[in-house]
Parts: sequence; C-alpha cells; structure tokens
Amino acid sequence: MSSSAEVAKGVTNSIQEYLQSLPRQTFDQLYAQPATCLATLRLLPPIAKQVVMRLLYTQKPVAKADVEVWCFPDHRGDLQDSLSKLSRLHICTDYEEHLQMNRIFQENFHNALVGGGDHVSFGQPMNDNKGEVDIALLDRHAAESWETVLHQLVGTPGDRRPKAVTKLLLASGLQEFPDDGGYSETNEHQKMNITSKGFQFLLLDVNVQVWSLLLQYLGLAERQLNMDIVQVLNFLFQIGSLELGQAYSVEPLTDTQRRVMEDLKYFGIFYQRTKKSRKFYPTRMATSLTSGSMVSSRKPEDSQGYIIVETNFRMYAYTDSPLQIAILSLFVSLQARFQNMVTGLITRDAIREALTKGITSDQIITYLTAHAHPELKKQSPILPQTVIDQIRLWEMERNRLRLSGAWLYSDFTDLNEFTQIVNYAEPLGAVLWKNEKRRTLAVTEEGHENVKSFRKRAAAARAGGAGR
Amino acid sequence: MSCAEDINLLAVVVDTNPAAWAAAASDPDRPLDFVKIIEQLLIFINAHLSLKFDNELAIIASHADQSQFLYPLPPADPLDAADDEPSKPANVYKQFFDVDRAVVSKLKELVDDKRTKSAEHENRSMVAGSLALALSYINRIKRANENNSVQSRILILSISPDLPSQYIPTMNCIFAAQKVSTRIDVCRFSGRKYGGESVFLPQASHITAGIYLDIPEPSNLLQYLLYTFLPEPSMRKTLLLPHKDQVDFRAACFCHKNVVDVGYVCSVCLSIFCSLSKKCPTCQTVFPAPK
Repeated sequence: MSSSAEVAKGVTNSIQEYLQSLPRQTFDQLYAQPATCLATLRLLPPIAKQVVMRLLYTQKPVAKADVEVWCFPDHRGDLQDSLSKLSRLHICTDYEEHLQMNRIFQENFHNALVGGGDHVSFGQPMNDNKGEVDIALLDRHAAESWETVLHQLVGTPGDRRPKAVTKLLLASGLQEFPDDGGYSETNEHQKMNITSKGFQFLLLDVNVQVWSLLLQYLGLAERQLNMDIVQVLNFLFQIGSLELGQAYSVEPLTDTQRRVMEDLKYFGIFYQRTKKSRKFYPTRMATSLTSGSMVSSRKPEDSQGYIIVETNFRMYAYTDSPLQIAILSLFVSLQARFQNMVTGLITRDAIREALTKGITSDQIITYLTAHAHPELKKQSPILPQTVIDQIRLWEMERNRLRLSGAWLYSDFTDLNEFTQIVNYAEPLGAVLWKNEKRRTLAVTEEGHENVKSFRKRAAAARAGGAGR
Repeated sequence: MSCAEDINLLAVVVDTNPAAWAAAASDPDRPLDFVKIIEQLLIFINAHLSLKFDNELAIIASHADQSQFLYPLPPADPLDAADDEPSKPANVYKQFFDVDRAVVSKLKELVDDKRTKSAEHENRSMVAGSLALALSYINRIKRANENNSVQSRILILSISPDLPSQYIPTMNCIFAAQKVSTRIDVCRFSGRKYGGESVFLPQASHITAGIYLDIPEPSNLLQYLLYTFLPEPSMRKTLLLPHKDQVDFRAACFCHKNVVDVGYVCSVCLSIFCSLSKKCPTCQTVFPAPK
C-alpha cells in the first residue's frame, strides 16, 4: 500500500510544481471555474485545506498572528509550509501581516459548494437512451488505447499511429529519431527509437504515466499548439470531477477544449462512439485524474499480477500481452513462449543491458514486485532475497570505477618530504592514492591549493634551515 | 503522513424532533429556523466531501419515534430508480447533488409521515437508535475497506432534552464507539424554550475524546461547523479546538429512569438505583440488610 501512496504523492507534487510555475493572471482565470477550485483544494496538504475552509466565509483579511494560534505550537512549522503553499498557488495572499483569500477563488469555491453560478464546469450530462455504453466497455476502451500508446512507445509494429501520440512521445523525450534529424513533416513515418527515459517510463504506475504525459501535453499545448493554457487546465480538472459511465455533452466546450479532447482521445481518456458524436464519455482514467487514489485503469486480470520469480533466477510470466512481454524482455532473457505464459532467466547480461539503457535496479525490483503473481505475494519478502541482492550487486558492479579530478605529486627528493606532505594532506581528506615506495601521491582537486602552498612553505623552511 | 491516505467517514446524526424544532422556531430570544439550519448543514457536508475524493458520509435523522438514514439510501429505493429522476444540472458537482437531493426529499417524507403525527406532541428524539445505526454503518464501511484504514467520527446535532429512559442504550453506544475509537462530536442548540442542559451528550464526547460545543449564535452555525467539526480526527493533534472542561457525570437510575446525583449501586452488576431495595432487579442478587 505504501508504494501506491508514495506514487499518489508524487503525482500531486508534480501537478503542484507545474501549477506553481504559472503566472498570477493565469490563476485568476483558472479559479473562475468552480471545478478547478475543487480540484486544487484536493491537491493541498490537510492543514491548508482546513485553513481554506476557515477563511472561505470570512470577508475581511485575517491577521497572521490569529491564524498562527489555530495550531499547537509544535505544528507551527507545518502551518507555515501550508500557508506558503497557499500563497504560491495564489489562493491566499499575504498583505501587511494579514491573510486575504483570493476573491475569485472564494466566490467560485462557494459556488462549487452550494451549486450556484452559471459556469457548466461540472459537465452537461446527456441522456444515453440507447444504453450501449457501459462501464465495462469504457474500461476496455481505456485499457486498449493506453496499451496502443505503450506499444507505439516500445516500437511494436502497428498501423494505428496517431500524429498526436507521436508528437507527444517525441516532445516528452520518451522517443527520438535514430539520427538526430529532429522532427519534420517529411520523416514523420520514420521509425523512432525509445530512449532511456522511455524505458523508465514503462515501469511506472499507470496513473503516473498518464499524468506525466498530460503535463508534457500542457507544455506542448502552450509552446507549439498555441492553445490557451487556462482552458486546457480547466478542462483537465473538469474531467476529473465527471462521473464514470455518464454521457456528457460536447456543446458547452470551447474550441480549444474540443481540440484537447480530439488529441487525448487516443490515450483512452475519453470515449466517443463516432467522431462526429455530440456526446462523450469519460473513462476511469479521466475520472481518477484528480482523485489521487490509484484506481487502476487496466483490466482486472492484468492488475492481478502474473510474474513468478524463483530463487534459481527463473522467471515465469502468465501473460499473452505483447506489451508486457516486450517490457519483460527489457531485463529478462526470455527462453520460451507458450500460449498463456513466457519463461525466462534473469541473467547478468540481460540486467546489464537494461542498466546501460538507464533503467535502475530499483525500478526493475519495483516492477517485478508490483506485478508479482498472487501466489508469490504470499511470501515475505515477495521476491526471493537472493534475486534482489544479485540484481543490486549487478548494478553496483557498474559503479566500480569512479572518476575524479586529481593532481599527481611525484619526484620527491627524500622520504621525509613525502611523509610530511602526506601527514598534512591526509587529515584534510585530500589524499586519493599514495605509494610510499615510489614516493607518488594523488591529491584531490579541492585539496590541491592547500597542499601546494604547504609544500612551498615546507620547501622554504627546509631551504632556510639548510642555509643556517 | 500515512493518515493522509486514510478514508474519512463522517456520520451525522440530525435531531429532527418536530416538537423541539417547533418550540425553537417560536423562541423569543434565539429563534431557530429548521430549514436554515439544514441549509448550513448541507454546505458543511459538501465541504467534508470536497476535502478528499474518497471521503465517506452517512446522515441519519433521529426523529421523535424512529431513526432513519437520510443518506446513503439503499440502492433499491424507488427514489433512486425513478424514471422522472431529475438529471444533474451542469453547475453542480455530482456527489453534492446526490447528497442534497436525498437529504431534502427524505426529510420531506419524514415530516409528512402520518405515523409520526401522533407522536409529534412528545418532545423526544431517538438518539440512541441513531447512534446504533451510525455505528453499524461505520462498521460496515470498515469491513468493506479492510486494506485501507478508515477514520470515523460521529457528529450529533442535538436540540431535544435528554431522554432518561434511553440512558442504558445511549451509554452502550458510547462505549461501543469508544471501543472502535470513533469520536462523538456534539453540536448542541439551546435557548429558553428548547434544548437545556444535556447530561448524556457531554459524557459521550468526553468518553470518546470528541468535541462538545454549545452553539451560542445559531445563525452562524456554518462557521462553527467549519471551524470546529470539519477537521478530521488525524488533524485534531495539530489544530487547537475547543473542549469542555467540566463534564457532568450524572447517571440515570435503572429503576425509574431518573437522573440522580447520588444513588445506590449494585456491587455485583454495577446497576444504579435511586431507591434502596432488597434484591437487585437487574441481576437478582440479594443485598444484605442494612444495619
């Protein structure tokens, strides 16, 4: 459980970081939508949430000293952190030792609570009288689309290669062209290669994958597609508040938002029966965007876990999904493939190959643990300890050589001079290597200046002593 | 911050005793409007739901002769399956809409109910039954989410006077709540013609480490609710919240249901009596005759 909690935390942090990078005016436009206010509130730490709720129905600015006594003295630090977060998100502003809530946020969050205003930010539901679309279909659609994206990433041959996906994978640095030719319309169909970042991406949790791609999309929308970032963000926060299995009307959406929907459709975030359809269905991927809870968007049988690892480094994976097999082949040398399973061996060569691609041993271990077969999960630790240790050792093997800048001191006239310098340099931690027989000494770059001046002083003292 | 991942369950027990609310509405000093109180309560409930995606909620009406769930309603309820179900307006968050609609329609049903009309002149509220319902619902949610820890608390909005005949069930519920570490918060209205000093409810919040608050200014109820009762149990270590220093530990006797200061206690079963008898009516122990 703790790993998924950490993942959720990571997701909220990355969204917050993105939001904090936006200019103030953008926030005022963002908070004009109650759905955005609601989603932003849910991103906040618990104390900040309470502060917002307390200030919500307070019209006048509140003295900061008064806010401070809300907390027990030993939690003042947490409160300060929360307050600074609030001001970075422009929910509250500091002014002359007083806290003043952003009026726009205040008004629209109140609208969200009482359901007032006229903003259509929680989606215009439509009657689905045909009843063809159910939750199972949406889940299937989301899983298939997302898998297609991942397939495209690993380079499985396929005919569905939407331009939006290609562009995004390229912009996020998950894929690149073999020769750094850059992106242009002409070589659009050229085969792209997965980068080391892309490999790491494959081993992440689905929700983190979705969010990191969406954040990339936001950047892309701003820089290349000339979209209004406020509308895109509002739209993303809005779909987080929609209900799974309900049809919503396209009508209230702006042109920008329709374009976003067009692009994001390929990622399985929405479902539309036909391209011209006037309604859309959010999938589980969309509705769990802002929840922070890890509602897996994969099919239940996938999320169950399918990998068995034995102490003899053999791996059995009960899967027929080409994607999962492709991911496994990143760090397992596969031996045989059957109708419902593959077998392989975790070898030094396979792991080393993965390591050279930038995948870390921790990522491999996390992936194997997360997708462990229920039978394997009954053990503690889940993976055999020998295998975990060995994968770590193989990673450490690559770190045997450490490069550091150094100065070489040699050709000392006598042993006395040599030991004098060693005795000076060693307490400083400046000695990297020394050889008494050959009277040679390697000194770190940081320590070089000190050692050099000491040697000069020592030489001068000796010369002086000899002269006397 | 493991507590940040917990599911927060809030069970609200609303005193809907018609006699007390009627008296409150005509109070010369501090008139109370039931509709306005419920409106403020609903905003508070929406605020609770808005804090986190997976916050859970139950609302129970403690009426003059019965206790009823206002939310959540059983899925088979005709109200949910009705064909003329109004579709959600686009300006309202789906979850808020569901709760508000269920509470309002259920309350209307309760007020119009013929059966309660006869009981209306009786100024009482089934708090013990509502507490029992709340605790069983909390238990159900805990069972359903065995993988996640559930933080639960109960909030009682109370206006009726204590009912000594319910002393034993009320205390049983309080101790049950203490055992499952569920805090009981009490929000109490009192004016000249309604409320009055309660003996049982301060004990409830004292025993379960909850908060007891007399609302001095009912028109600002929402602010009291947001300040005092919104922080989830894990936040109570961080935020300074009001607490009642002096708790009246008086009990009601088992024989005549009178609230007593000094009474007789059976040395075997600890039952409390207001008058001396030869045999304990609860456990049939024969007391030695006083010398």
